Amino acid sequence: MRIYNKLIFSLVIAFCAINIVLAFFGQKDLSVYFLAQALAFFIITLVYSYLNTRARAALNSLSLVIFAGFLVVALIKVMEIMQK
Amino acid sequence: MKNPYRVLGITLAVPGALLAPLFYFLLSSVPLAATALSAIILGVTCIALANARPYISPEASQTLLKTGMENTAALLEELGLQNTAIYLPSHLRDGHPQALVPLSKDGGLRNMREKLPGRLIVRYGPDNADVAIAVTTAGSVNLELLSRKPGPTVEDIESALNYLLTGVMDIASGVTVHLADSTITVNVAGAKLTYENTWYNRCLGSPLASVAAAVASEALARPVRIIEEVSSHGKTRISLELLS
Repeated sequence: MRIYNKLIFSLVIAFCAINIVLAFFGQKDLSVYFLAQALAFFIITLVYSYLNTRARAALNSLSLVIFAGFLVVALIKVMEIMQK
Repeated sequence: MKNPYRVLGITLAVPGALLAPLFYFLLSSVPLAATALSAIILGVTCIALANARPYISPEASQTLLKTGMENTAALLEELGLQNTAIYLPSHLRDGHPQALVPLSKDGGLRNMREKLPGRLIVRYGPDNADVAIAVTTAGSVNLELLSRKPGPTVEDIESALNYLLTGVMDIASGVTVHLADSTITVNVAGAKLTYENTWYNRCLGSPLASVAAAVASEALARPVRIIEEVSSHGKTRISLELLS
């Protein structure tokens, strides 16, 4: 199960780094945190594309949910910019 | 609840989901809410991975593998075969990739027939001495786990081996492949199964070498023989010879 542990550790390190860096720069918008975390999730799970089929399918389903959230947040941001 | 990934997932996702609104609306702390959000994503990832764990325990799998290996070893030992096996691509064996252990010492594949019958004892050439035992190996079975046949390039072989050894079987941490003339060198990092000097391994190679030989043979559509297998400092170097 080393491969699963590696994936989890990679995600933990990436999320910690994102949260620390954004908090350090005084970011107050939660959607920015979410967008950064979603991007990190997509990149890291793509790197682990050689996982077995069942794990891959489970992660793909989760990626789909996160991507839907990503699209909604991005859409809201675009609408906010257009309304200005 | 025995699955540690499920326990970890629930431990992260449930408190994350409870604390995220608390941090955001009551404490008005965005960094803390973001941390809770991270915990939710990590927790759900762990739960997803928990569901992907195999149903059969590693102990049961090991028992089945050992049984098969000991039966094949007993057959080889009884026949006194010490020749190195030749891994054949599936198109030469009725769609099932197998390994041939020639009965004669200089058993090459010089005059090999285009297609061999799917039997245990096969005559692969015109001479009386061209007889071999055809056995299914760990590598042969693992090829079925690939979604598509690997292409004839080094990158495709490397990708297939990484998928099988690292992603599916989890018995190595990385694989690199080099092809020079008729020799393929497979370097396996962090191998959990190393070469043991047993009768089975002398003939058919270790499970790692068996998988490497079967994948290379299938990808290049040519018979392959394991020449050497060396393990040192957690790394295993497998040398394969491409036969014509």
